[in-house]
Amino acid sequence: MDTSIITDRFDTWTDDALAWINDNGEWLFEFIRMLLEGTYDGILWLLQLPPFYIIAIIAALLGWRLINLASGILAAIALIFCAVMGLWAETMSTLALVATATILALVVGIPVGIVAGFVPSFNRVLEPVLDLIQTLPPYIYLLPAIALLGYGPATALIATFIVAMPPAIRLTSLGIRMTPREFIELGQASGLTSWQMFTKIRLPFAIPSIMAGINQSLMMAFGMVVIAGIVGSGGLGETIYGAVRTLDIATSINAAIAIVILTMVLDRLTQSAARRAKAGGR
Amino acid sequence: MKTAMNDSNEVLIDCQNVWKIFGARAPAAIQAVADRGLSKKQILQDFNCVVGVSDASLHVRRGEIFCIMGLSGSGKSTLIRLLNRLIEPSLGTITVKGKDVARLNAAQLRDMRARNIGMVFQSVALLPNRTVLENAAFGLEVRGVAKDERHKTARAALEKVGLADWTARYPNELSGGMQQRVGLARALAADPEIILMDEPFSALDPLIRRQLQDEFRQLTKSLGKSAVFITHDLEEAIRIGDRIAIMKDGVIVQVGTAEEIVTKPADDYVSDFVAGISRIHLVKAHSVMQPVAKFRASHPQHDVEALLRTSPDADIGELIDLTMQSNRDAVAVVENGTVIGVVTTRALLRGVAGTPEHEPAAA
Repeated sequence: MDTSIITDRFDTWTDDALAWINDNGEWLFEFIRMLLEGTYDGILWLLQLPPFYIIAIIAALLGWRLINLASGILAAIALIFCAVMGLWAETMSTLALVATATILALVVGIPVGIVAGFVPSFNRVLEPVLDLIQTLPPYIYLLPAIALLGYGPATALIATFIVAMPPAIRLTSLGIRMTPREFIELGQASGLTSWQMFTKIRLPFAIPSIMAGINQSLMMAFGMVVIAGIVGSGGLGETIYGAVRTLDIATSINAAIAIVILTMVLDRLTQSAARRAKAGGR
Repeated sequence: MKTAMNDSNEVLIDCQNVWKIFGARAPAAIQAVADRGLSKKQILQDFNCVVGVSDASLHVRRGEIFCIMGLSGSGKSTLIRLLNRLIEPSLGTITVKGKDVARLNAAQLRDMRARNIGMVFQSVALLPNRTVLENAAFGLEVRGVAKDERHKTARAALEKVGLADWTARYPNELSGGMQQRVGLARALAADPEIILMDEPFSALDPLIRRQLQDEFRQLTKSLGKSAVFITHDLEEAIRIGDRIAIMKDGVIVQVGTAEEIVTKPADDYVSDFVAGISRIHLVKAHSVMQPVAKFRASHPQHDVEALLRTSPDADIGELIDLTMQSNRDAVAVVENGTVIGVVTTRALLRGVAGTPEHEPAAA
C-alpha cells in the first residue's frame, strides 16, 4: 500500500493551515514582531550606549558582589577580550537577544509554573507538552516562526523563547509543590489566607528553585541563539553561520570563543545569585 | 502537681465523643460507628479504614496545662489537630470557648486560629528567610498588625523566653533549644488563650529539655494561658501537666492528675507505664504524714516543736533532704503556723515504695 498519499495530504493540510494563519493573522504576527523587536532594540540600545569597558566594569562589580573579587576581575578581562577580537557589537546583540528571550520566557514561564504548582491536573497536561518542546530538535521552531514572522531577530527571539521557557515552568512548579509540610501546617495553624500562604510561605520556599529555573532558561537561550543565526538573528550566531558558509574557520572560532565567554560569565553570575537566594533562605 | 491558682473553672476546650477515621471508605465506616457502634478492629476489617481517634472526650479549663501522653501511633497528634481543626473530626463535637469548631466558616476558623489558639510544633517550623524577631512577629503580621507594634510585642515575647539578645539573628544560627523558644515566643506574641504544644521538646537533649519544661510551665502559669501538651514521655507529662490523659490506639484510657495516674492506674497498660516512674516528686507530705497525737504517743521522747518544719505540699524528695539535715528521724508538717502532722522515716519509705496502705493521714 502506498502511504505517501496520507503524508502528502497531511503536508498539504499543514501548509494550508500555515498559509491561512499567515493571511488571516497578519495583524497579530505583525504586532508580535513589533513587540519582540521593540524590546530587543530597547535592550540593545541600552547595552550599546556605554563603551565596552563600562559594561566590563559592571560585570566586574557584579562578579565581585555575587562571587568574589577574582571572579569579577576575570569576568571583566574575558569581556574585554571579546572587544579586542573586534566582536563587541555582535557580543552585545547576542546578549540583547538572550536577555529579551529569557525575560519573555520568565514572564510567561514563572506564572504558568506557579499555576501548575497549585493545580495538579494542569501540571499533568503541561508535563507532556514540555517534554515535547524539549525533545523536538530546536531547528523545528525556526520554520513556522520564519513563515509567520519573516527573516530577522523576531523569529530568532520567538524560537529562543520557546526553547528557554520549559525549565522556568518546570522548576517554578516544582518549587511551589515542594513547600515543606510543616510550614503548610504552620500557615494553617496561624490562620493564613490562601494569598498569605502563597506570598509568605510557598513563594519564599520556591525562590531557590525559581532561581535555578532562571539560570537553566538562560543557558537554553544561549544554546538556541546561536542556532538562530540561520534566520538572521544578528549577533554572534549569524557571524558563526556566515563563517561556516564561507569556511572562514578563524572568524568562526573567534565568535565561538566570544559565545563561550558570554555564556560562562552569565551562568556564573546567575548561579551565584541562585545560591545566595538559597543561602539567605537556609 | 495541682495549682492553687486555678480560681476559674471555665471550660475552654470541650471534646465530646470525638472520632477520626482515615481511609477511602471513611464515610461508610463513620455511619457504621454511629449506627451500630463498631469497634476499631471491625472497622479495619469491614471498611479497611484506620481509626485515628476513637470516642475521645476531654475538657481543658482556663489556666490548665493538659497533657496528652501516648506512644507513636496512639492518635495523640491527630487529637491535638482536631482541636484547631487542622484535621476535620469524623464524628463528635469540639467546642472551643463555647463555639462549635466544626460549624465555623473559613474566615471564622482563620480568626480563631489567629487569635485564640496558638500552636508550637516539634519541627519548630521557623521561617529560614526571616530573623528571629520577624519569626516571633509572624502571627501578628498575618493579622495585619503594624510593623512597629508587632515588633514591640514580639520583642517582649522573646524577652520572656530569654532570647532578647538574639532578635536580629536567623534561625539557623540558633541551637535546637533556642529555636524551640522562638517557636514558643511566636505562639505567645499572638496572645492566644490556648496554646497547643505538639511534642515540642521531643527532639531536644535531656538537659535542655528539662530546663524548657520548667520554663514552659512557669511561663504558662504566670501568663494565665491554657495549654494542651502532647508528649510520648510520661515523665514529661508529669512534670508539666496539671492533668494527664493517657492514650492508646486512639482511645483515651485514663484522665487524671499525675498523682492519681501513678497511684491509681486505670489498667495494666497504664500501670506498666507508671512502674518506672519515680514517686519522689509526686507523693506529697500531706498524704504520708501521721497525726500529731499519734506521733506523740509512739515517740514520747521527741518534742514536736523542735522538729524541722515543712509545708504539706513538700514532696518526698524534699522530706528526705530535711530528714537528712535533722538529727531526728521525723519532720513536722506545718500549715498556717500550726503543726498539722508528722512525717516519719517509715512513712517516707512507704511513700517511695508506693505501698497502698498508708498510715491514716490527717485530713
